[in-house]
Amino acid sequence: MILDTVLTTSTAMVAQTAGLLDTDSFLVSMLLKVALVIGLFLSLPLIVGYMEHKAMARLQHRRGPMFAGPAGSLQLVADGIKFIQKEDVIPRAADKWVFAIAPGMALVPALLIFFVLPFGPGVWAADLELGLFYALAITSISVLGVMMGGWASANKFSLIGGLRAAGQLIAYELPLILAAIAVAVQAGSLSLVGIVESQATFMVAGTDINVWFVFPQILGFTIFFVAALAELSRPPFDMPIADSELVFGYMTEYTGLKFAMYLLTEYAGMVSMSALMVVLYLGGWQILPGVPLPGCEAGGGLFDCGVLGTLIGVGVVMGKILMLTFVMVWLRVAYPRLREDQLQRMSWLVLVPLSLVNLAVVAVAKVVF
Amino acid sequence: MTGYDVVFVLVGLVTAGAAMLTVTSKNLVHAALHLAVTLAGIAGVFLVLHADFLALVQLIVYVGAVTVLFLFGLMLTRAPIGREALDSQNRGLGLAVAGGLFVTLSALIVMAYGGAERVTPQRVATEDIGISIFRDWVLPFEVLSMLLLAALIGAIVLARREAGDSGEAQDQTIIDFGDAPRDEQGGPGATPAGAGGAAELGSGDTTTSAGERR
Amino acid sequence: MATTSLPGVGLLKGLGVTLKHLFKTPATQLYPHERPDLPPRTRGVIALMEENCTVCMLCARECPDWCIYIDSHKETVPPAKEGGRARTRNVLDRFGIDFALCMYCGICVEVCPFDALFWSPEFEYAEYSMDLLLHEKGKLREWMDTVPPPPALDAGAVIPAEVSDAIAKAEKELEQAAQQAEQAAKQAEQAKAGDAAPKAAARADEPKVEAGEIDQETYDALIAEGKSERIARSKAKAAYVKKQKALLREVASGAGREDEAAAEAPAPKAAEVHVEAGQIDQETYDALIAEGKPERMARAKAKAAWVKKEKARLREEAESGGDAAQVDTPAADTAEATPEPEGAAGPAADAPAPAEAEPPAEPQKKLADVHVEGAGEIDQETYDALIAEGKSERIARSKAKAAWVKKKKQEQLDAGGDE
Repeated sequence: MILDTVLTTSTAMVAQTAGLLDTDSFLVSMLLKVALVIGLFLSLPLIVGYMEHKAMARLQHRRGPMFAGPAGSLQLVADGIKFIQKEDVIPRAADKWVFAIAPGMALVPALLIFFVLPFGPGVWAADLELGLFYALAITSISVLGVMMGGWASANKFSLIGGLRAAGQLIAYELPLILAAIAVAVQAGSLSLVGIVESQATFMVAGTDINVWFVFPQILGFTIFFVAALAELSRPPFDMPIADSELVFGYMTEYTGLKFAMYLLTEYAGMVSMSALMVVLYLGGWQILPGVPLPGCEAGGGLFDCGVLGTLIGVGVVMGKILMLTFVMVWLRVAYPRLREDQLQRMSWLVLVPLSLVNLAVVAVAKVVF
Repeated sequence: MTGYDVVFVLVGLVTAGAAMLTVTSKNLVHAALHLAVTLAGIAGVFLVLHADFLALVQLIVYVGAVTVLFLFGLMLTRAPIGREALDSQNRGLGLAVAGGLFVTLSALIVMAYGGAERVTPQRVATEDIGISIFRDWVLPFEVLSMLLLAALIGAIVLARREAGDSGEAQDQTIIDFGDAPRDEQGGPGATPAGAGGAAELGSGDTTTSAGERR
Repeated sequence: MATTSLPGVGLLKGLGVTLKHLFKTPATQLYPHERPDLPPRTRGVIALMEENCTVCMLCARECPDWCIYIDSHKETVPPAKEGGRARTRNVLDRFGIDFALCMYCGICVEVCPFDALFWSPEFEYAEYSMDLLLHEKGKLREWMDTVPPPPALDAGAVIPAEVSDAIAKAEKELEQAAQQAEQAAKQAEQAKAGDAAPKAAARADEPKVEAGEIDQETYDALIAEGKSERIARSKAKAAYVKKQKALLREVASGAGREDEAAAEAPAPKAAEVHVEAGQIDQETYDALIAEGKPERMARAKAKAAWVKKEKARLREEAESGGDAAQVDTPAADTAEATPEPEGAAGPAADAPAPAEAEPPAEPQKKLADVHVEGAGEIDQETYDALIAEGKSERIARSKAKAAWVKKKKQEQLDAGGDE
């Protein structure tokens, strides 16, 4: 994006359509967008983290944080301050550079995804033609940070954790992408905004009932959700950090800010994966299927909804994200961790074939109807 | 000299530097990480050339999958963890191969495109890419996919044969213990022991027939 | 999954179970802010009822951790009566429990034969230094205030042997008293009617004596000597009557020898009194505490007050019992005057006995009932007021408890009056 701002000044603007390096906005708007994205990146994971603390506690018959701030809402802020104060320990045998860079390597992709996520009508930093593809590509490189951390720690547990993370990411990226491709096929677009738009106008064949993609593609949604959980190493797929076997996996040797960065990556990943699911399957900022936001009836209400409509739209998206993250927490509480071989088996023998079938069915249906 | 040119040069320099580090690094894992930077740099080059789709493919396939597989393989086999180095000593051979490849490729590229006119890069819609691949270039595409499939199957066969070989001995052990219920499963016509290979390792049939023959 | 055919049903059930908990009230106790709801038998800390301790050393010997330290010396107590034998008794000098060593097995509490050790649910006695966990006598005595009354028996539970025995005895004595009153009335009539008074009196006593009222020791001794059954019985009977008579004389001889009488008849009761932890005069105690006296002094004084009260009551009862015997059984007077000891002593000796045994039993039981019902109850108002005044938790609790007990007692008394 900074590259964009530099290039805005250049006269050699070649492209006619929106692309990664094109922009029709100027410096201030760019800075605002960057500020928005970074603000969201730093605040949403905290909200989700607080929600996880509280929801998990209540699901387990506990109370959760209560004392930091009203109802414990500032617990994660307090944790952050604690992390800052901690000594930054680097093991003597560790590969210092790789060890230091790894959390950043994991964090940056998580941040980059936020640039394409639409959080409401007109509330996004960039509407890329290849938005979905971009998000998936960025997700796939975040594993590098995990592997680097696991290897550089010079610790068996870390190494095994890193390996598991890599194996898991490779295994579950395939069903994830295949499920997302099915949505792209149905929507006829790779742009995240375009997918929301096509959901606003998608009708059940032969009728004029508007539905979201989650209904025709409930299988795809399930696959995407499971694969997203595995990508994020969330329980019940948290073998990379399986505490009972691997201490804390690739994060074992990390302390202080670096550890916090890994944690932030996890929660930001929860937010971005949930946001992707909202966009792909749950109709983006539509309140209900076929119900446009107030103030943006025209054109499916995508870009300009007035202040009220925009605010409601953002609220709806946040609500859906919170709902999905709550389900993630719920699953974490309800299910025990899988075994590593069960995890791989589930991906290659269940999810991949199912997602291929899903893709084929969607493609045929798209041609037929 | 436009902004794109400047960015192109910068990205190119980073890519070239990372490539140099890849081959000179003494630590194998460092080399793999530098390779990741190189591949990401190439994605950046594609980006500057308005090939967004290709850039993302480069990222998802090479950085996200190939490099990770490299690292995965290294860590699974004999990569030292932490700072210890694993360094190949075949520098001369490596240099020769790399130099030969460089010369050949350069010559080929110059011969093919040397006389071509300089064009400004044009953005191509993803839709057009898809249409051209699956309409005009569908045969090469399918041939390539067949090649990949063949490679995949070959890899599996290699892996499976190894398992089958070691499986024989295991089979014997199972027969020796022989306290599995014999008369319940498998009839007289059960497959002879050892013929099944890995697929029948320790299955009831194998054990039964072996027991009967004794 | 095993029971259902549909895959995934088990997974959904798991989700359902966790979701159900989402809407339940969390089980968390907000401990530092709210006191935990501890059952009365919680093993928090061991309290020592110093007055009950006889330095028998059983606790120290049984302690698996050897964490009880006891020192004592012997004192000679001058004879109670003139010409009596001086007795020695153990005086407790030191009683310490090292809670840094204690493993809270409770063997000492179980093994104590004199009910000197109790469990208290208090647990907030952590220290910054390990040696401060060695609680000495004084501190252990203070924990006694926090010992809750024993929990009430379950409905339909078997009544403890000592209680049922006491009840049975009291009932039997009541019955006998009634019988005797009847007999006495008859006697009086007969005495008026004719001269057969001594014989009638003797006959009147016959059934009661037959009811096994013989001196067992004497009987056993005689049987052992090879005396015949009948002789042994009659001699034992005589011995019993003699004893009873002596007893009666002592009782009747006035308040000066009150203690002796108490030692004979209500002695087991006195033991029971000690069983009910904290037999102190609650009113006195509260008043002293309210005056700002230190805890220990208040307790000691309250105890003294209680003892005084109890003594006064016993004396009163003894006197009234004597009166009753004189008033209600005029025949007894005449009988006493007669030289026949067997017939005369009977009614006179036995009539006051139930009168004496029974009244102490009743208030005792009442008191006990109050305690039992109120397992750990406190008077919330008092408690809140004291806490609001900034008093320490423990004092507030004990005072509130006292207030509650007082209230309950009052209620009970009122109810008793109605009955």
